[in-house]
Amino acid sequence: MNHIKSIILGIWHLMQGMYITMLNFIRPKVTEQYPENRGKVFPHERMRGQLIMPHNEANEHKCTACGICQMNCPNGTIEVLSKKEVDEATGKEKKVLDRYLYDIGSCIFCSICTTSCPQDAIEWTTNFEHAVFTRRKLQEQLNREGSKLMKKEK
Amino acid sequence: MFHFSVVTNWIDELLRTYLPDGWALFIEFVLIGIAILTVYAVLALILIYVERKVCAFFQCRLGPTRVGPFGVFQSVADMIKILLKELIKINKVDPRLFRLAAYLVIIASICTFGAIPFDKGLHVVDFNVGVFYLLAISSLGVVGILLAGWSSNNKYTMIGAMRSGAQLISYELSCGLALMTIVMLSGTMQLSTIVEQQTTAWNIFRGGIPAIIAFVIYLIAGHAETNRGPFDLPEAESELTAGYHTEYSGIQFGFFYLAEYLNMFIIAAIATTLFLGGWMPLHIPGWDGFNGVMDYIPPVLWFFAKTFACVFLALWVRWTMPRLRIDQLLKLEWKVLMPISLINIILMALWIIYIDL
Amino acid sequence: MKVIDELLAQLPFAGIEQKEKTYSVSVPKDKLRETAEWLKNNPKLSFDFLTDIIGMDYTDSLGVIYYLSSTTFPSYIITLKTQTDDRETPEIDSVHDLWLSADLYEREVHDFLGITFVNNPDMRRLFLRQDWKGYPLRKDYDANPELNPIPLDNEDLNDMEDMPFTEINLEGERLEQHRKLFEEEDYVVNFGPQHPATHGVLHLRVSLDGEMIKKVDPNFGYIHRGIEKMCEAYTYPQIPHLTDRLDYLSGTISRHGFCLAVEKGLELEVPERAHYIRTIIDELTRIASHLLGWGCMAMDMGSITAFVYGMRDREKIMDIFEETCGGRLMANYSVIGGVMNDIHPNFQKKVKEFIPYMRKMLKEHHLLFTGNPIARGRMEGVGYLSKEQAISLGATGPTGRASGWSNDVRKIEPYAAYRQADFKEVLRSDGLTFDRYIIRLDEIEESLRIIEQLIDNIPGGNYAAKTKAVIKLPEGEFHQRVEGARGEFDVYINSKGDKFPYRVKFRSPCMTLVNTLKYIAVGTKVADLIMLGGSLDYVVPCIDR
Repeated sequence: MNHIKSIILGIWHLMQGMYITMLNFIRPKVTEQYPENRGKVFPHERMRGQLIMPHNEANEHKCTACGICQMNCPNGTIEVLSKKEVDEATGKEKKVLDRYLYDIGSCIFCSICTTSCPQDAIEWTTNFEHAVFTRRKLQEQLNREGSKLMKKEK
Repeated sequence: MFHFSVVTNWIDELLRTYLPDGWALFIEFVLIGIAILTVYAVLALILIYVERKVCAFFQCRLGPTRVGPFGVFQSVADMIKILLKELIKINKVDPRLFRLAAYLVIIASICTFGAIPFDKGLHVVDFNVGVFYLLAISSLGVVGILLAGWSSNNKYTMIGAMRSGAQLISYELSCGLALMTIVMLSGTMQLSTIVEQQTTAWNIFRGGIPAIIAFVIYLIAGHAETNRGPFDLPEAESELTAGYHTEYSGIQFGFFYLAEYLNMFIIAAIATTLFLGGWMPLHIPGWDGFNGVMDYIPPVLWFFAKTFACVFLALWVRWTMPRLRIDQLLKLEWKVLMPISLINIILMALWIIYIDL
Repeated sequence: MKVIDELLAQLPFAGIEQKEKTYSVSVPKDKLRETAEWLKNNPKLSFDFLTDIIGMDYTDSLGVIYYLSSTTFPSYIITLKTQTDDRETPEIDSVHDLWLSADLYEREVHDFLGITFVNNPDMRRLFLRQDWKGYPLRKDYDANPELNPIPLDNEDLNDMEDMPFTEINLEGERLEQHRKLFEEEDYVVNFGPQHPATHGVLHLRVSLDGEMIKKVDPNFGYIHRGIEKMCEAYTYPQIPHLTDRLDYLSGTISRHGFCLAVEKGLELEVPERAHYIRTIIDELTRIASHLLGWGCMAMDMGSITAFVYGMRDREKIMDIFEETCGGRLMANYSVIGGVMNDIHPNFQKKVKEFIPYMRKMLKEHHLLFTGNPIARGRMEGVGYLSKEQAISLGATGPTGRASGWSNDVRKIEPYAAYRQADFKEVLRSDGLTFDRYIIRLDEIEESLRIIEQLIDNIPGGNYAAKTKAVIKLPEGEFHQRVEGARGEFDVYINSKGDKFPYRVKFRSPCMTLVNTLKYIAVGTKVADLIMLGGSLDYVVPCIDR
């Protein structure tokens, strides 16, 4: 008798499971249709997609080439190359940014560079489409050609 | 009612008027062969697509959407891919048996496929022992699976094949017993006659409770024979990577793949033929108007609709339940299904004596 | 505690120090075994849980630290320390027969520091290849790539089967011997390193009798990244991103643990707000991890649909993480002193929407899988783990609690905001596979309760304390236990007052779980091995580190 009871109970539980799957059969699906919904769905604004150095309209950035980000980076993703330049106003020699190199291929998105930057010169964007054909293309220069240090507002 | 026999008879007469009988037969054989292989392949493609789509819907996904509208050409693309793939030569396999295994599996499957009555006149092999033929030829596949497991010279395939042997041989029993109850009810093994008998009422209605029990048992056992769903132990991808066909590649793997899907269809088709009236429309005695409307739907459609309903049920079960363990599998067969089928045969006998007729 | 004080005083040869609830007992090398036995077997003390064994290189000598904890007074810890001056052939007595977990721990110390544990019957390397030259965690290790070139051929399986061991027999003779792992006629099947059910690149060598399992031998190290070695070259703010990558499914919890350890060392006052946020994030992680664990176990048993449902619900948590933390899997959220950003304005709303959703889905999950007679039939009576065995094996977390061992660090040693939340430790008593399965779903329920209580009461204030630009930890040892999703996660930091740690050790809860598999899988079938693996729910990067 117990045997038969357990069989019937088993069938009842199987039906319950099948009810759940049928329920999900009818429910709206959760799949994201990625290339189609491109431009309609955006990642959240805090998502760490890619490191950038914002420039203003006058092609100026905030980086003073202090190198703190390079020092803090665990993977050697960032390389700050600076050059000496004579400041026209004071006539003194000053260290300015030459090239800010960033290799997204070795970046682990730990965000230590942006939090440690004293000038807030670099920040994250949510661009997540990083696929390229060669590794060379993963290495980027963040500062634009001919860009200058932003003058501090007093 | 439109039957396909009109078409087939017309072709037959046409050939016979222009050619001697022997040649006419020969050409018919060739035509049938081509037709069966084509239908087999096309059905496999459809089934693969259906499976992927249905499975995805059960899982809150969309399934293939890229190739063609709603991804309908996905399985065509897959087929092209599998045809173009290299047959990887594997060291230390038994090459002859290794190749033979794949052919055995697919030949067994195609031969069974040929015996299914799709419609009146659309029925290749109509033996007077049709049911017996179906059972006999479909169990040939297990030899192929065992050979595949053995000849691959791999421990996973070996375990998979051994499981498969144990599973198929035991489930063959209740499968056969379930069909036997219907044979008792019909009094014949000829598939066309069995279908013809179901004009007024399908066997599942005519046979009452024993027929329903037999139907359920047949679905379970048949499901087990296709190595799918909760009974996919021989493949058991989370345990044995791919079970008996781990080492196969390219079209040889394709054969196993096709055979698996078609076996699912064949099991559903046999269930349709024996229990659900084959290509017979749904008739309810007394409701003449309703019966008339039902008759307008072509029998081939009826057959495929019923079969795909069974296939859907199989998919539903498969994508709901976890896999059984080997001892549970055998316990289910020998301690639950077998005794029930045996009792069911007696029940059916009583039914035939006291209620039916 | 008085009892411990009094009893420890009975050890005349030991140097005892006490710091809060941690007793440090230093003993000479030859007294180690005796002390360990006494600590374990003394009925009043019964330090029956060996949390971890930490190998140390003190530059002039090599040492071993045993972290012991007792089920009688779980919040107290004894660290048993010993040293040896011999750097050529350092030998220390094995304790593998006292605690079952010591087996793998000793192999790990042997692998990294070259200390041979006398009488341990299996002194193979654990993570590195058997033919690796040198011991990486020694301070004088030569990392020259020419010494250990990248191997281009497979490791010989015979190497893995050969177990060297050193033994001192009753006559006091020292014997170096070799033993074979499997017998000649064993039918050995490799599960992994590439296998769908090993949850990563774990290599299980299994000898079978038909479908029955005779012996399981886990083989680690396929994704060993040397995180502990890397930590020695990283500054403190840099290390937490590595902890995220240990147990990637409960990364925020291990990160939290590391930050707590450093904060303990700095004696930094962390704002209450940060504590609350961290706790909520931890619990969300735990839910996500358990959902995946549930799904993976179902998938291991062949029910792929359940896995997809688990992933679907987990996705909701990942979305919340992305919004607040900026990362999905690597949430990267806790930093030393607090959290990286304040919570997103939508955070509370989203979490509050998630809680009822999850409750509803839990009911569905129960209907779909828990009640399923096939699933029940498979889980019934398989994989029994007794409470004593669980403690001895150090199988913490849900696995231990399913056997009735109350080991929840959130209760024993409440950290962050757990003191403020009212929740109960889910305990079951049978220790069967089904208990390990159901306890995860029950813990999701408890985690939801914790979140529910905290989410509306997040206090105002700063989300992080100010830290110096360069963080230097004062000299000393710092130890922090947190409750990861899979068990107790411990961080041990040894600092010499520098901005780099001298030695960092993470206790991997998953390594003991794989060790548990060795014991509970014997006598079951192949299908059960996979299912048991799913029920223990280990994560391989956590083991390999």
